[in-house]
Amino acid sequence: MIKEYNILIASVGGQGGITLARILSNAAQSQGLKVRVGETLGMAQRGGPVQSHVRFGEDVYGPMIPKGRSDVLLSLEPAEALRVVRYIGKRTTTIMNTSPTLPIPVILNEATYPDPARITSILERIGGRVYSIDAVELAREAGSLRSMNVVMLGAYVSLGEPILTLDTIEESLATSLPSRYLEQNIRALKIGLEKMKELISEA
Amino acid sequence: MIGKEGSVRLLMGNESVARGAVEAGVGVVIGYPGTPSSEVISTLAPCAEELGIKVEWAVNEKVAFDVAAGAALAGCRCLVTMKSAGLNVAFDSIISVAYGDVNGGLVIYVADDPAVHAGMEEQDSRFFTKVSMLPMIDVFDPQDAKDAVVEAFDYSERFKIPIFVRSTSRVAHMRCGVKFGPVRSSVREVGFQRDIRRFTRASPVWCMEQHTRLNEKVEKMKPHFESSRFNELHMPENNAGVGVIASGVSWNYLHEVVALHNLVELATLRIGTVNPLPEKLIHAFIDKVDRILVLEELEPYVELHVKAMIADAGKNVRVYGKKDGTLRRVGEYNYDVVERALGKLLGTELAERNPELDKIRDEAIKVAPRRPLPFCPGCPHRATYTAMRQALRELGYGEGEAIITGDIGCTILGMHPPFNMCWTEVSMGASIGLACGLRYAGIDKPIIATIGDSTFFHAGIPPTINTAWNDTNIVIAVLDNRITAMTGHQPSPSSGYTATGAETEPIEIERILEASGIKKVRVVDPYDLQHTKEAFIAALKERGPSAVVLRRMCSLVARRRGLLGTPSVVDPERCTACLLCLRTLSCPAMSVSEDGKMVIDPSTCTGCGVCAQICPFDAITAWRQKD
Repeated sequence: MIKEYNILIASVGGQGGITLARILSNAAQSQGLKVRVGETLGMAQRGGPVQSHVRFGEDVYGPMIPKGRSDVLLSLEPAEALRVVRYIGKRTTTIMNTSPTLPIPVILNEATYPDPARITSILERIGGRVYSIDAVELAREAGSLRSMNVVMLGAYVSLGEPILTLDTIEESLATSLPSRYLEQNIRALKIGLEKMKELISEA
Repeated sequence: MIGKEGSVRLLMGNESVARGAVEAGVGVVIGYPGTPSSEVISTLAPCAEELGIKVEWAVNEKVAFDVAAGAALAGCRCLVTMKSAGLNVAFDSIISVAYGDVNGGLVIYVADDPAVHAGMEEQDSRFFTKVSMLPMIDVFDPQDAKDAVVEAFDYSERFKIPIFVRSTSRVAHMRCGVKFGPVRSSVREVGFQRDIRRFTRASPVWCMEQHTRLNEKVEKMKPHFESSRFNELHMPENNAGVGVIASGVSWNYLHEVVALHNLVELATLRIGTVNPLPEKLIHAFIDKVDRILVLEELEPYVELHVKAMIADAGKNVRVYGKKDGTLRRVGEYNYDVVERALGKLLGTELAERNPELDKIRDEAIKVAPRRPLPFCPGCPHRATYTAMRQALRELGYGEGEAIITGDIGCTILGMHPPFNMCWTEVSMGASIGLACGLRYAGIDKPIIATIGDSTFFHAGIPPTINTAWNDTNIVIAVLDNRITAMTGHQPSPSSGYTATGAETEPIEIERILEASGIKKVRVVDPYDLQHTKEAFIAALKERGPSAVVLRRMCSLVARRRGLLGTPSVVDPERCTACLLCLRTLSCPAMSVSEDGKMVIDPSTCTGCGVCAQICPFDAITAWRQKD
C-alpha cells in the first residue's frame, strides 16, 4: 500500500488546473486509494494563481503537501512554478508548460517576466528533473486550446509513475468532463503522452 | 447528493455538509453566498425539487437565519449557511432565538477563513458560543463535517436549541472520500403553538427565565457531547507525560506528523465539541501528562479553557501554544507548522533543515511576477470606473482627490491599478455610511460610494434611506451586474430568478433608491462611456444625495449565455502604439505585439467595445454588444 504520494498543480485561473486535479483525484479514488485534495477556490475564475494539492496514500491526512514533498509538479504556467517552490524538493519531478500567461503589470511594462531558462534553473537547483513542453501549442494541434490541461495530464502519464494507470485516467476523463469533448480530450491526452515519451528518450 | 447508503464519493467539505443535511431530512436550506461557505447551497439547489426540500439564497444572512428559525419553530429541520462575516450579520437574531425553543432541528453552518483566502477578517467564530451559549461542533475533514451535520440536527431537536457546525477554508474546500449514510425523510408533521412566554422577549422576567433555561439545556447536553464521536482521546500505555490537543483542521496535520515520525507514544486529544467542551476528557488528559501542546488555528480558544482547568485542578502542566509564542494567532497551520511545534514540545528537532534550499526558494518567490486580480474581460465595472475617472477629471479633480468608498464584492477591484479608485472596504453596505461620515467630518471634495447590486440588497438600503433622510451630499453608485459575481454567480434579486432557477420579476434598484428618498437617480449602461461620464458629472453637481445605477450584465454570465458581442479588432495601420487603451483599461484580452502595437485576443475579448471608445486614433473597431 502506498504511504504518501503528492501531485501539485500550479496554474492561473481559467487554465483548467482545478479540472485537472479533479480528473487525477477521481482516477485515484476509483483505484481504491485514500485521497485528499486541497484547493483554494476563492479567486479561481478571475485569472489569479490557483494551486491544487492532489494527495494519495495511507499516511496522507492534511489537504496540503508538506514542504518539499511534492512527487510531481504540473505547472500549467511557467512563472507559477516559482510561486509554489515551497512544496518542491529533491524528490520532485516537474513538468512545465512553457507558454506564459503574462500578468497585467508585465504587459504594462511595470514588472518583468522571468526568463524561461532561469525558471528551469531555479527549479532544477531545488528539485529533480524538469521537463518543459509547449502544452498550448500541443493543445492547438489536438484541436482546442482548452485541452491544454489534458495535454499536461498525458505528459504526466508518460512519466510512468506506478500509481495511476492509463486506463483509470481515461475512465476518469470520461466521467469528469462533458462527453461531447471526450474525443478531443483523448486526442490531447495522447499528444501529451507521445511528446513526453520523446523528451524522456532524448534525456 | 442523491447517492445510496454505503457508497463512497469524493466530496468537498461543503458538498459533504449538504449531503449531511439531506441525510438528516432537512426541509429548508438557506443562506447568503460567502466564500468559503457557498457550495453548500449551490450543491443542493439543482436537486432541491427532486429531494423535496426548499433551497434558497436570501438577501442577507440575518434574513436567512430568520426564515430558517421560523421554519424550525414550526417543526421543520433547517440549515443556514454563511461565511464568518455573515455570522456577524445574523447574530442579532441568533442570540435571541437561542433564548427560545426550536421545534425542528436548526443548524447554523459557518465557515471561517484563516490565512484570508477569500478576503475579510480572520475571525474566530468559535467565540460566538461564549456570547450566545450555543453549542458548536468544529469539524476537521469532509466526512467529519457530514457526520457533524447529521448529529447536530438530532441534538438540536432533542434539546430544542440551535447548533453551530463550524469549518474553515481548508476543510470547506478539501476533498476526500465520504461514506454516505441513510437518508431520512424530510416530510414531517408541522405546527406551531402560541406561547409568548417562550417565543417573545417582551418581559424581563420571561427573558431571564429563558436565559436560565438556555444554560440548563447546555448543561444537559454536556454528557452527550462529552461522549460523542467528535472528541477522541488516545492515551497510550507507554506515554511519557507528553500530549497534544487539537481542534479543527490541525487534527489532520497532527496525524500526519505522528505517522511520519512514528510518534506512537504521544497522547492525543481531538476536541470537536468546542461548546460545551468535553471537560471530563480534558481532565483525564491533563491528569496523565505534564506537558501539552494545543493546536488550533486563530485564537487560543481551547488553550485558555485548558489552562483554566489546569489551574482549577491545581496541577502543574506546561502548556505550549499561542500564549507562550510557540504558535501564531495569525494565518493558517500546515504540516510544517505542526511539525515544528511538536519538535518544541518534544525537545527535539523533527524537521529536516536545509537552509541552502530555502535560500533558493526565497529567490524563486522574488522572481515570480505579481499577478494582481484584474477585472475580467468585458467586466462592466472596468467601464464604470473609467467613466467615473473621466467625469472627475472633467470637473477638475485630479488623481487621489475625490474619495471613493468601496464595498464588498467584485466592485472593490476598482482599488487596483490602473484605476486606483476605491479607498476603503469595510463590510457589506458600509460604503454608503462611510461616505456620509466623511462628508460630516468636513471633506469638501466629491465623495462617491460604489456598491454592487447584491451588496446593495444585502445591507445598502438602510444607509441609503439614512442618506436621503439627512440630505447628505454624496453620490451612491450601484454597479448592477445582475448577479452575485465574486462568490461564483449566485442569483441576486436583480437576476430575475431564484437559487433553484425559478423565474421571478427582477427587482430594480432605481425604484428602491427613489422610494428611499433619493431624488436624482440616473440609470446608464456603463459600456456607453460618454453617457456614463455625463451621468456622473450631473450626479456630482447635485447639491444633495444622488445616485447612478450602472446596469450591465456580468460579462462571465453573458459569455455563459452566449450573449457576447463580436470581438473588437485593432487596425495596425492606425494603431500608433501609444497603448493608452492598455494603460487605461488593463483588459486581459489585450497584449502587445512585437512592433509595440495593440493586439486583442478574439477568444478572450467579449466585444464590450469600451477600448474602441478610449482609442484617440479610431484604431479599434467594435460592434456594440447585444443587450
